[in-house]
Amino acid sequence: MSEKLTKALEFANYRSTLNNQRSILKARVESLLSYSIDGGTFTIDPGLISFVKLLKDSGQESAVLLDIYKNPIMVNLEEFFDEILSRYIESTNEYYAEYGKLVKSRSVKSLLDLDDE
Amino acid sequence: MAIVNALLVKKHLGVKVCVVTDTHSYDYNIEMLGSEVIDKAIDDLVIINKDRKFKNTNTKVYRDTSSTEKSLSFYNLDRADAYDLSPYDETILLDADYLVMSDTLDKCWNSKHPLMMNYSWQDVNTQRQFELDRLSDTSVTMYWATVVYFRKEPYAEYFFELCKHIRENINYFRGLYRWHGGIYRNDYVFSMAAHQIGGLRDRGVDELPFTLYKTFDYDDVHKAVSESEIILYLEKHDAPGEFLLSRWKDLDLHVMNKWALNRISSDMMEHLS
Repeated sequence: MSEKLTKALEFANYRSTLNNQRSILKARVESLLSYSIDGGTFTIDPGLISFVKLLKDSGQESAVLLDIYKNPIMVNLEEFFDEILSRYIESTNEYYAEYGKLVKSRSVKSLLDLDDE
Repeated sequence: MAIVNALLVKKHLGVKVCVVTDTHSYDYNIEMLGSEVIDKAIDDLVIINKDRKFKNTNTKVYRDTSSTEKSLSFYNLDRADAYDLSPYDETILLDADYLVMSDTLDKCWNSKHPLMMNYSWQDVNTQRQFELDRLSDTSVTMYWATVVYFRKEPYAEYFFELCKHIRENINYFRGLYRWHGGIYRNDYVFSMAAHQIGGLRDRGVDELPFTLYKTFDYDDVHKAVSESEIILYLEKHDAPGEFLLSRWKDLDLHVMNKWALNRISSDMMEHLS
């Protein structure tokens, strides 16, 4: 096998591993952005955060929100807003840091942080 | 592996663990691990008697990657009895090969739904696709009995009664739901019961509030890095026998290669001790 072909196959392997690790990272962040309270489960996204902020700013203390199953869940807006906002910031910051590490990695070994294995 | 998983549940969820097993498996684990470890892992123990005839006839092919396969007994008859066997008001029923590496399952407690299980799932190797969406091409959606949440309420009780009814009349339901093959699978039994309890509606039971992640028995586990992190060998979709390395962290995972799980169980025990 020529040196060029060997390198091309190595690169293909690196790209496959990178794509898979990206998907796994995305799965982890999606899990972090899922929040369960009082028997309901919510996906934390900018839409939910903005809507809860809007309700809070309109002077309401509590409101009924529809969760991922469309079940009505009564929440205290102040507490719920603080929780989802801090979870969103924490999760996306982690995503940013981990994603940055992945795209900077130039080999399978560094992608998987296998230097000490 | 059930003991390792029980310890993982305690570590990540901090809840009571009930193990359903037979005398032989229990004695073997006491001999191998000692009673101190077993007592630490198990809060409630349910000993059942295995149906010998079923054990000898229900066999399936187990793989340790695509290089090794063996046809062995697949004893899975008692899952339909889970509602009666569980000593708890709320239960998450788990396969012993479902590694709990996070607190994700905590999302289930106090749910509005008395029964939940997944039909959607995700392969850890995102480039690979297995057709496992229905019992057969013209049948109902397949649910996975790998993780099932239930609360002691009539709805869940009726569901498990239906599972038992299907188990006892398996050949009739096999024909009715066009389930091919001779092996008894709880995934199929639970899928048929879900269809029935939902009023003969496909996907009649609600899903768990998280994704079910899977590796298959074509894959291997290289190493348990910690109690919430493992390194996997995932078989390439376009090159059988070749693998993609993958690091899996902070998410629960169904690992179908039982030998791979056994190979990492002592390392996992060390992380948990």
